[in-house]
Amino acid sequence: MSRSSPTKTRWFSDSEGRSRGLRKDRNKAAEPLIELRDVSLKFVNYSDKSYTLKRAFLELLLRRDRQVPNSEFWALRDINLRIRRGERIGIVGSNGAGKSTLLRLLARIYPPTHGVLDVRGMVAPLIEMGAGFNSELTGFDNILLNGAMLGFTRKQMLAKVEGIHEFTGLREFAHLPLKYYSSGMYSRLAFGVATEIDPEILLVDESLGVGDAAFRAKAKERIRRVMDRSHAVILVSHELNTLRELCDRGLWMQKGRLVADGPIDEVLDAYIQSVNAPAPAAEPDPAEVSG
Amino acid sequence: MNMDVCNETTTEAVESFPAPPSVRLSEVWRRRLANDRAELVRFWPVVQNMVVTELRVRYQRSFMGFLWTLINPLLMMLVLSVVFSSLMRIEGGGGSYTLYLLAGMVPWTFMAGAVTESSVCIIMNESLIRKIYVPKLIFPLVRVLINLITGMLSLAALFLLLVPLGARPSAAMLFLPVAVGLIFAFTLGLGLLVATANTFFRDCGHLVGVFIQAWYFATPIIYPVTQFEESQRWRFWLNPAFYFIEIFHDILCKGAWPPLSLVLTAAALATASLGIGYVTFKSNEDKMVFRL
Repeated sequence: MSRSSPTKTRWFSDSEGRSRGLRKDRNKAAEPLIELRDVSLKFVNYSDKSYTLKRAFLELLLRRDRQVPNSEFWALRDINLRIRRGERIGIVGSNGAGKSTLLRLLARIYPPTHGVLDVRGMVAPLIEMGAGFNSELTGFDNILLNGAMLGFTRKQMLAKVEGIHEFTGLREFAHLPLKYYSSGMYSRLAFGVATEIDPEILLVDESLGVGDAAFRAKAKERIRRVMDRSHAVILVSHELNTLRELCDRGLWMQKGRLVADGPIDEVLDAYIQSVNAPAPAAEPDPAEVSG
Repeated sequence: MNMDVCNETTTEAVESFPAPPSVRLSEVWRRRLANDRAELVRFWPVVQNMVVTELRVRYQRSFMGFLWTLINPLLMMLVLSVVFSSLMRIEGGGGSYTLYLLAGMVPWTFMAGAVTESSVCIIMNESLIRKIYVPKLIFPLVRVLINLITGMLSLAALFLLLVPLGARPSAAMLFLPVAVGLIFAFTLGLGLLVATANTFFRDCGHLVGVFIQAWYFATPIIYPVTQFEESQRWRFWLNPAFYFIEIFHDILCKGAWPPLSLVLTAAALATASLGIGYVTFKSNEDKMVFRL
């Protein structure tokens, strides 16, 4: 691995201060790559009653307490999770369970409302295709830009360009601005860039189904190769068979809570059982199962 | 149901997270600064890329290409000098009026442009912020840097006009880099402040343009301070932009070293602006993503 020293990112939401050298003496290999302690994330919807300057001013003038916005919800609640080197994690759950939000939290897009999030290592988010692409730039320049955002130098990225072209087959379009790409070419390039790098932590959000059938097979193979290169992989998908194939640990999320955490087969079986069961009584008690 | 409960990890976790010691505020900010410095180093290629892209896209496919960065300010200055020196016959503050006008206009255009663009930079980059982690500090920084580069090119164009306008290059011009540095710091602080304000209160964006326009007329750029009586001039001291513009006037028009008191005031203002802007931005940075 070219990047041997992981960039250490520590996040503190409520408890700002903690001495930096706290973990220096600890054995590095035993350290979890990702650690979440009682992490909760609250979304507040201001759009229905927008928090404008006028309102802020009035509240200040009238010394009125800030009204509780009428729609807030906890996208994630009390998540405790430790992910170690070499783990392949699959996350399942119904729509709106907080799977993607959890990935975004790990990618540092959302800061936690409460709790401590500790991510050690470079995160490569495959959450949305073409994140950080600039449509005015050529394909080649976008490769470099995207690499820079993920923390690679120009030199490192130049070495990878060849591999990306080979995979995407877009070499002849490399010097065409991205706005002239078809949507298929666009997502192929995005996928190619994201999977050519050697991430320490790979986050994948249901983006396995890209392009035509031939490409999809190639993509799956490629995902598997990145998974081999990266230290930890977190995969969100509704394709349970894919998860069973690729992952060894499963997480089951429900309404923002982690309801099950264990070997992938057991978690998936429990999940399938609860989906098929007509009564919601089949849900396991969250307090009982989560770590 | 047999689920792995991960008991051993939780006991371990308690060990590795002792109760946080109560830390002084200064400590927190020192760490934030150190953190930001590290992030800026890591993301510097991104900043570079964004600035270069913006400038390149601006002149893409035009026949003159990058030459426009120099021709544009030259033409602008030509228009300004013709319009103002023929319409408004004002006695310049020493030397030609056109030179006075241009010397004030170049730093002002930089500041006004940077602040206006900074105010919308977080909102404009919403798609990026919601998809990938990039330190948000770089967005105002990129806007200010782009304006700085165009401002420097304008300054270069101004140098080409310097001799035709009747000014001699002087040793005081060696002070220009310091003057540019001061106004850069002041503008960046202001940009950070405006970017934060506008992200939370969208109304601000509309006010910024109006405010900048009013500020423009309140600052001696198109008129010299000498137009006002001595007893009235103290009013300009209340205007923070006055000090920065005046430094440029001193250097470029009078060819004199700016007085130390002026430079020190400007430095204090720049520090205050940068400090306030940075603290405001960093305290609200985490909440921004939820307001996009």
